[in-house]
Amino acid sequence: MIDLLWPLLLLTVLAAGILRRLPVYDLFVEGAKEGLRVTVAILPNLAAMLCAITLMDAVGLTAQLSSLCRPLLSLLGLPGEAATLVAVRPLSGSAALSVLETLLEQYGPDSRIGLTASTIMGSGETIFYTVCVYMSTTGDKRTGYAIPCALAGMLAGLLVCGLFFR
Amino acid sequence: MFLQFLWFGMVAASLLWGVLTGKAAQALPALLAGTGRAIALSMELAAGYLFFCGMMNIVNKLRIYAWLEKRLRPLFSLLLGPIEDEETSKAVTMNVAANLLGLGNAATPYGIKAAARLHSSGHLHALYMLLILNATGLQLLPTTVIALRIAAGSQASNAILLPTLAATAASTVVGAGLGLLCQRRKGAACYD
Repeated sequence: MIDLLWPLLLLTVLAAGILRRLPVYDLFVEGAKEGLRVTVAILPNLAAMLCAITLMDAVGLTAQLSSLCRPLLSLLGLPGEAATLVAVRPLSGSAALSVLETLLEQYGPDSRIGLTASTIMGSGETIFYTVCVYMSTTGDKRTGYAIPCALAGMLAGLLVCGLFFR
Repeated sequence: MFLQFLWFGMVAASLLWGVLTGKAAQALPALLAGTGRAIALSMELAAGYLFFCGMMNIVNKLRIYAWLEKRLRPLFSLLLGPIEDEETSKAVTMNVAANLLGLGNAATPYGIKAAARLHSSGHLHALYMLLILNATGLQLLPTTVIALRIAAGSQASNAILLPTLAATAASTVVGAGLGLLCQRRKGAACYD
């Protein structure tokens, strides 16, 4: 059933575009250009984060961190291997993507760890980065109750992730 | 700023740990291998980014924004309180509508504009709620994650769609709910 989503969604978008006489081909190409720009722009960030994460894996620090956080994460119903991802998710999108890719490669995308990690990645946001960017032009460092509330929300999201993949 | 600490912390702690556990020889090869893997990862990401940005550019022109904006307005006045200024209110709704559709790049300029206007007009509760909504993730379709799962050879790349939606909804409801509670407790002090 859920596999019908993408074909139907994409068909709807394309058909709606044609019916409105939009130049769908040109629009796609123009949008893809923006996608390429984003890809090139984040490559150096990914390089910095992936070299750090691969190093953490190679010297055994990731495994150490996982076993240390296992009891805490199992309270949320999450596997210990998700520790690094949970830790970097609110801080850096590039770091989180790098960790996710490492986990998908190591344990497989359809394993419990792969499914949990994908859901944590997809349902979360880079809380601290987002707040920094949005506040950048205000010149104000006070963000009131925004960050505590967002972190509590993230915790609720993690609990739901845990419920789905026990 | 914190990225600096995060990155330094990860690299420095790993180097120290490697030296202490007798794995010093593995350090440089791992660093270089990781940097090289960034190329492979960005190739996988490129497939998702190019395709979905291309499709989203079509969605963008379908004026779904205007439709979404109209439906989101009542919800916003409930969450953020009354915003008299039309331009601010428009920036807020455009920001959230673009986020829902997964147009992160389009959402950011509106978000920055909305935050600046809410801040300068003293609508601090509305500003904090805007930050909470954005920081708890609103995206309906996790396109980048799906693309990475497909690239990793997943047989069930869509298996995460419902759990992701449920988790995002939970984090937004809890975050926004707490935000409203904080405003109640602080009352007028929110406009300090």
